[in-house]
Amino acid sequence: MIVLDPNGEKLNLMPLNMGPSHPATHHCVRLLAAIEGETIVGAVHEIGFMHRGFEKMVERGTWQQVIPYTDRLNYCSAMMNNIAFCRAVENMFGIEIPERNKVLRVIVNELSRINDHFICVAAAFQDLGGTTPFMYAFNPREEIMLIWEKLTGARLTNSFARIGGLYRDSYDGFESDVLAACVSVEKALKDLHACLDRNRIFLDRTVGIGKISKEDAISYGWTGPVLRATGVESDLRKDEPYYDYETYDWDVVVGTNGDANDRLQVRLAEIEESVKIVRQALKRLAPGPVDIVDPRIRVPSHKMAYQDMEGLIGRFKSVYEGIRVPQGEYYCGSECANGEVGFTIIADGSGHPYRIKVRSPSFAHVSAFAELVEGLTLADSMAILPGLNMIAGELDR
Amino acid sequence: MDNFAETIVSVLEAKFGAKREALAKWDTCVVVEKNDIHAVIEFLKNEYQMDMLLDLAGIDYLTYPNHEGPRFAISYALKSMKNPGRRIRLKVLVSEADLKVPTVTDLYKVANWLEREVFDQYGLTFVGHPDLRRILNHHEFVGHPLRKDYPATRRQWLSENDYLVPELEKHLETLGYKVIQRSEEINPCDNEYLEGSIQK
Repeated sequence: MIVLDPNGEKLNLMPLNMGPSHPATHHCVRLLAAIEGETIVGAVHEIGFMHRGFEKMVERGTWQQVIPYTDRLNYCSAMMNNIAFCRAVENMFGIEIPERNKVLRVIVNELSRINDHFICVAAAFQDLGGTTPFMYAFNPREEIMLIWEKLTGARLTNSFARIGGLYRDSYDGFESDVLAACVSVEKALKDLHACLDRNRIFLDRTVGIGKISKEDAISYGWTGPVLRATGVESDLRKDEPYYDYETYDWDVVVGTNGDANDRLQVRLAEIEESVKIVRQALKRLAPGPVDIVDPRIRVPSHKMAYQDMEGLIGRFKSVYEGIRVPQGEYYCGSECANGEVGFTIIADGSGHPYRIKVRSPSFAHVSAFAELVEGLTLADSMAILPGLNMIAGELDR
Repeated sequence: MDNFAETIVSVLEAKFGAKREALAKWDTCVVVEKNDIHAVIEFLKNEYQMDMLLDLAGIDYLTYPNHEGPRFAISYALKSMKNPGRRIRLKVLVSEADLKVPTVTDLYKVANWLEREVFDQYGLTFVGHPDLRRILNHHEFVGHPLRKDYPATRRQWLSENDYLVPELEKHLETLGYKVIQRSEEINPCDNEYLEGSIQK
């Protein structure tokens, strides 16, 4: 492709295609860059390679059947998504979940956030050629995965939250497992900081790379750690608190530069804050019910279903017809690992969702990718992508 | 926060003749005239610091019980970064006879992709959008899958890659470059490229 640049100079650009299946693109995203030497002059990118029609599928099932689909949005922190969805529907019912449920959801939320941030930082390192930090991050992550296994029976796409309750209460020894995981997370953080903070090669590759201003980030709809890396103090857990997040003692982490390095450092610092929250939540975890008692909303327990007429009817109706969410429409956003996950829900009063639109943070983040890489070298573009923590599941839905 | 919602609804009612959406029982939603949407969002952005466009959700009311009025709607979710906790949703109704909606890509950068998604899934076109093409679905896809009359089980044969070079050239031109000689699309299965291939 022969072009005249804005100064009138003649350039011979090479269009270079990267992806959709490329080891450095993690999932599926395609970048077509016009390069001059090694520098990207202009780029366009394409998504949609993992579009599974989430929004069409959920319209076919009942309200409870949406929950396993939400796990497949951001599968690195699957349970956060179903907590976000259940919170939206619970708000529509106007129900208050029991205290123990709230605390358990906070613990699950924060452990998921730790997991998600670890995998993001680990992958970013891996892409830049560092394999040691990858292992440092994966050890505590594995410990949390084992907790997930015991808690839900699954490792990756686990679903735990239910509308008006939880799949089940935590298991015996949950508290000690979580505490042990917290200790190894803190140990891994030390190791990671030792690899990262003063590593000349890593700093050269990431400091000042992929910088974005506050205004641009907001205009691109960035939320979560990538927005906070630009210095905007915005966290829904503080701004519009839910599950008593405002009563825990923790800080919102912000960066200064908004470059690739800040985006990873903010994540590591957020892990520290999450550990703080988890430790406080463990102290609050008092015995009590986790489900609300309302056979029309939460499927009643076996005991209730077999001994109680109402329970039997409730179980039958909610399984066959689905629970009846009141007619209306609602947007509800929750702070997930990647940013604000929002659900625009249109309910027609039946047992099936009429329309659910997911506001996925990755969609907003990745839409800025082509602009971020312009003017950088091709290798730098792959130092930026992992920092955005693109998750194809929620990007393409 | 509720005060803010009340003021903003009354301001929009007075200034743009907007109506409060009765179905939005748990948040604030205002229905505005389709052709006013750009002006309303610009007004909210400048006067009330609603500086983040979170989401565009297309809605097809075809099978909605007792629905009267236009078939389609788009819900714009906005929030303010300067005053955390302030949110509003705007809704425009789009009739099947006229699927055109003014674009807001000049106000928010993210609107580019969000509008492409609504176009892709519902077939609503955004007037003034710089690059309106499909985003999630394949470019050979026929129809708009999230419409209620599109059967979820329909299958389509989609085989050709997106070429994407024309889009790249267009993008370079917006950056101030002038394309003198365009790249040609080649078919890797053409005979001249099969030299030495086992296919020959």
